[in-house]
Amino acid sequence: MKIKLNGKEREAMPGESILELCKRENVPIPTFCYHQAFGGQGACRMCMVEVREEGQKEARLAAACTYLLNREAEVITESDRIQRIRRTIVMLLKRRAAGDPILKELADAYAAPDLEAVVTEPENCILCGLCIHACEEMGKSAIWSMFRGIDKRIATPYDEASDDCIGCAACARICPTHAISMEEKDSKRIIWNKSFELVACRRCGKEYATREEIEYLKERSDYGQENLCESCRKKTLAITVKNYI
Amino acid sequence: MQIDVNEYKHENEYKELIENYAGKPESLLAIMQDIQKQYNYLPRLAISLISRHVGIPVSRVYAMASFYKAFSLTPKGRFVFRVCDGTACHIKNSETLLDQLQKSLGIKPGETTTDGMYSVETVNCLGACALAPVMVVNGKVYGKVSPGDLEGIIKEYGGQNHGYDNQGS
Amino acid sequence: MDMIIKAHDDRQTILVCCGTGCTANGARDVFNALQSKLKDHPDIEVLPVVKATGCNGWCEKGPLVRIIPRDITYCSVKAQDADEIVDKTLLEGILIKRLLYRDPVSKEHLASHHLTDFYRKQHKIALRNIGEIDPAQISDYLEREGYQALKKALQKMDSQEVIDTVKAAGLRGRGGGGFPAGNKWQACRNASGQEKYIICNGDEGDPGAFMDRSIMEGDPHTVIEGMILGAYAVGASHGYIYVRDEYDLAVQNLGQAIKDAHSHGYLGNRIMDSDFSFDIELVRGGGAFVCGEETALMASIEGRTGEPRDKYVYPTEKGLWGKPTVINNVETWANIPVIILHGAEAFAAVGTENSKGTKVFSLVGKVVNTGLVEVPMGTTLREIIYEIGGGVLKKRSFKAVQTGGPSGGCIPASLLDLPVDFDSLTEAGSMMGSGGLIVMDDHTCMVEVARYYVNFLAGESCGKCTPCREGIRALLEILTDICNGQGRMEDLQLMEDICLTMQEASLCALGRTAPNPVLSTLRYFRDEYIEHIKNHYCPAGVCRELTTFYIDPEKCTGCTLCVKQCSADAIKGEKKQVHTINESECIRCGECYRVCAFDAVQLGRRDHHEN
Ligand SMILES: Cc1cc2nc3c(=O)[nH]c(=O)nc-3n(C[C@H](O)[C@H](O)[C@H](O)COP(=O)(O)O)c2cc1C
Ligand code: SF4
Ligand code: FES
Ligand code: FES
Repeated sequence: MKIKLNGKEREAMPGESILELCKRENVPIPTFCYHQAFGGQGACRMCMVEVREEGQKEARLAAACTYLLNREAEVITESDRIQRIRRTIVMLLKRRAAGDPILKELADAYAAPDLEAVVTEPENCILCGLCIHACEEMGKSAIWSMFRGIDKRIATPYDEASDDCIGCAACARICPTHAISMEEKDSKRIIWNKSFELVACRRCGKEYATREEIEYLKERSDYGQENLCESCRKKTLAITVKNYI
Repeated sequence: MQIDVNEYKHENEYKELIENYAGKPESLLAIMQDIQKQYNYLPRLAISLISRHVGIPVSRVYAMASFYKAFSLTPKGRFVFRVCDGTACHIKNSETLLDQLQKSLGIKPGETTTDGMYSVETVNCLGACALAPVMVVNGKVYGKVSPGDLEGIIKEYGGQNHGYDNQGS
Repeated sequence: MDMIIKAHDDRQTILVCCGTGCTANGARDVFNALQSKLKDHPDIEVLPVVKATGCNGWCEKGPLVRIIPRDITYCSVKAQDADEIVDKTLLEGILIKRLLYRDPVSKEHLASHHLTDFYRKQHKIALRNIGEIDPAQISDYLEREGYQALKKALQKMDSQEVIDTVKAAGLRGRGGGGFPAGNKWQACRNASGQEKYIICNGDEGDPGAFMDRSIMEGDPHTVIEGMILGAYAVGASHGYIYVRDEYDLAVQNLGQAIKDAHSHGYLGNRIMDSDFSFDIELVRGGGAFVCGEETALMASIEGRTGEPRDKYVYPTEKGLWGKPTVINNVETWANIPVIILHGAEAFAAVGTENSKGTKVFSLVGKVVNTGLVEVPMGTTLREIIYEIGGGVLKKRSFKAVQTGGPSGGCIPASLLDLPVDFDSLTEAGSMMGSGGLIVMDDHTCMVEVARYYVNFLAGESCGKCTPCREGIRALLEILTDICNGQGRMEDLQLMEDICLTMQEASLCALGRTAPNPVLSTLRYFRDEYIEHIKNHYCPAGVCRELTTFYIDPEKCTGCTLCVKQCSADAIKGEKKQVHTINESECIRCGECYRVCAFDAVQLGRRDHHEN
C-alpha cells in the first residue's frame, strides 16, 4: 500500500499506524503517550499530523499513533499548523511539569511561551498514562486514572496502599517526567504509600526487587526462583547454556 | 484497602445485589447503580466484592466510581439539598443560593455536614426551568427560590422528622 | 407525571400535570382532591400519564388540569377547585372562566392551550404525542398510528427501501452533529459482520435542555418503533437505550413500553410474524456529559469509564464490542416512524434546503413563555423568541441567545433574523447542539456565561487528552481572573490561541467544541471583556468583585420590595421613604437590582466606591 510521506512515496502495511510507519522510516514525531509495548492511546495529541486519504478533498489533522492506514494516503508530519499545535500542547503541559528537563527542552524547541505554573500540582505528572499500562502489563493494575476532567489523576484506590501493588516500580521506570515518587533506603522501598522489603541478589548482593514482586513472579512462572538479579540471571543462564552445548 | 468492620455486617446483602448480575464487565455499571441506590454510596467492601464478581481490578472499579457522578464514595447526608445549576437557573442566580447554603450549613457543593445531616449538591437542569432557580430537597421541588427563602427551607429540615423518605441519592 | 381520570361512558378524561413544575405548585393535592371527589363515580378509573416537563411554558401557571376530548385547559388549579371542576365542567359542561388562560395581549380567555400563540405556531412531529397520550398504555399509542410504520415496513418494504426513504427524507441527526441518518444506516448495513447493534442516545447532558427526556417519558413507544425500524434496515438484532442517570421516570416508562411491545409482538423473536427478530435493553447512564459522545457512551455500556476514542474508523464499522453500530439521538428516532409511514416527501416538505423537518428546542432563560417548542427548520430566532416565546421577560432588552449548550455559542441581537438550521448556526459560530435555547437579557454577563460553560466542562471533560483537559483548565483560570477584575488584555489573544489548538487537536468533539462559548462571546461581545479588564466594570452587574449597587434617591418610591428581598438585611428604609444600601453588609447578589420595578437600584463601580 502506497503512502506519500512528506512528499516521498513509501510502502505501508495495511492496518499499521502512521506513527509505526514513521518510526520505520526514521521520520521523527514527538510523542508522550505512545509506547511500543502498548501502542498509541491518542491522549497526549503531540503526534498530530496531516492526512489526506485518497478520495478526500482536504487534509485533516489526526493523531499519528491511533490513525491506522488502510487506504492510500498522503501524510505530512511537519507544517505550520502542526508546529502551532505542538507548541500549545507543550506550553500547556509545561505548567504541570515545570521542573522537568524534557519539557524544558521541548519548550525551547517549539518556542513555547510560559504560562504561570499550576501551583496545586507540583507532581510533574503529564497524564500520559504509560504507568497504568505498565502496571496492567505486570498483571496488577494497582493504579488507574481516577476522577475526570481537570481533576483527573493517577492514583491507587482511596490514595491508600493498594493490596495489588507489589512495589515493582515498573510505573516509576516508564514515567517520562519522573513524576512517581519512590524512596529507597535501609533495604526498603516506599512507593504509592506502601513500604516494601527489598531483596538482595544471591550472587552479587545488589538489592534488585521487592519480596512481593519475587513472590508474585514465582507464582506466575519459574522466573525468580533463584533470587538473582536480572544481570546475574543472564550470566548464569549463559553459563548453563554453554555447559549444555 | 482498609474496610470498616461495620460494612461486614452487610456483606451478604451486598453479595445478593451483586449476584443478580452476570459476572461480566458489562454488568459493572448496573451493579454499582443498584448498590448506590440502596446505600446512598459505594461502601469499600462492596467495591471489593464487585471487583471480584466481575473480574475487574479494584482500581478500575474505583476509577468508575470516581468518574461517574451517579456514584458517591462517602455516605451522603440525611437531607440532600440539590441546587439546580443548569443554564436557566444559573442566569437566574443559582450561585447566590449556593453561597447562602454554604453560609448557613458551612458546606460547599459535594460536601456533607459532619453530623451527617445535610449534603449540598449541584445538578444540571431539572426540567423545570420555568421555575428557575430550582432546588430539590429529598425529592421535594422548590421553585423560584430567592436567597431570602433559604432560611425557611433549611428550617423545614431542622432535624425533626419531616416525612423524610430515603429517596435522595 | 400526569394523572388521568377516565370516565368510560362519555370518555371524558381529566389530566393533571404532575411534571416537576406543577408538582412544586401542589399538583398532587389537586390530583388527590379530584380523585376523592370522583369516588362517588364507580365507573371512573385512575391512570398515570406523562406530559412534557415544562410543557406549555405554563409551569408557572401550574398546576394544570386538562379535560379531553373537549380540550379544556385550566391553570393555577387548587385542591378546593376540584368540586367545581367535576360538578360544573365534567358533568354539566360549563367552562369555569376564572381558571382559564387569559391572553396577555388580547385579554381574551382561551379555552385551551392549543389556542395560544405558543402552541399555534409550532409544528409537531417528534412531540406529536406528548401530553396527548398516556405513555404507560400501549393502546393509546396504537390509537395514534402506533406501530403502523413498522407494519408497513415489514409487509411492504425491504430493508434497503427503508434506508432509501430515510435518505430521501433528508433526516439529519438531532443529537447535535447533524449527520445524515440515512447515510449512517447505509454504512452500517454495508459493513461486514453478522452481529450489529442499534443504540439510542438518551444521555442528554446539556445542562439547559430536556427535550429527549420529555420524549422518553411522554412517548416511549415512538422511540422504540424508530429503533425497530432502524434495526430492520441495517440488520441488527440487539439494541440499547442509554438513558441519563437522573431520568427515573424515563427509565420507568421506557421499561414498561419495552415490556408491552414484547407482549404485543413488536419486539422479540419473529416480529409481527416476519423473519426479523430484535430486542432492546435499557442501560442507565452513570452521570457524565461526555458519555453523550458516542464512543464514550459505548465504552460506558461495555463497563468502562466513559473515555472517547479516536473515530478514524466510524462506529458504523467498529462500534459497540467492535461490531458495526448505529447510534442515533432520541429525537432522531422519534422522527423515523412518521417518515416511514407518511413517506419521505411529506417530511422533506418541511424545513430548509439542507435541514429537513422540525427541531425541538428547549426555550428557557429570560423569556416569557418557557418550555419545549417544535418548529420547522429555518424558523428565525426572532419568531421563536418573540412570537412563540412572547419576548424577553419584564420587557428588558434582549442581549443574546445561547444555542447548543456547552458546545454552542451566544448569538447577538443583530442575528435575530437568522433562520435556524444546522448550517446557519455553525456559520454564526454556534451549534444546533441538542437544541437548548437560552435567552439572555442585559442583566446577563457574557464573560460570566463563558466562564459558566467552561467551568461546567472542566468537571465534565473526561480528562484524557491534553488540549481539552489543560486547555479548559487554562481558559477557566483566565476567565475567572477576568471576572474578578484581574484580567489582562493579552489574555484575550492567549485564549484565542488555546481555543484554536483545542479545536484542532482534541480527541473528541467535546474538546473540539468546548471553545465555542468563549470564542462566540469574544466575537460578539468583546466590548464586555474589555470593560471587565480595562475598566474593572461588569455592565450586567453580575461579577461581584466588580459590582456595587446603590439606590437612586430620585427614582426610589420607597416601596420596600427590595428591603424584603434582601437576604443580607443590607437595605434600610421605611415605607414611602428613600432606601439606602449598606455596602459593607451587601453580598452583591443583585436581588434588589432585579426586583426593583422603578429602576432605582443602580450599578456602581466597585473600585470607585472603595476609594
Ligand atoms: C460531548 C458530547 C456530548 C454529546 N451529548 C449528546 C447527547 O446528550 N445526546 C445525543 O443524542 N447526542 C449527544 N452527542 C452527539 C453524539 O456523539 C452522537 O453524535 C449522536 O448521538 C448521534 O446521533 P444523531 O446522529 O441522531 O444526532 C454528544 C456529543 C458530544 C461530543
Ligand atoms: S476532547 Fe476532552 S472529553 Fe474528548 S477525549 Fe479529550 S479530554 Fe476527553
Ligand atoms: S503519542 Fe499519539 S496522542 Fe500521544
Ligand atoms: S436549568 Fe434549572 S431547571 Fe432547567
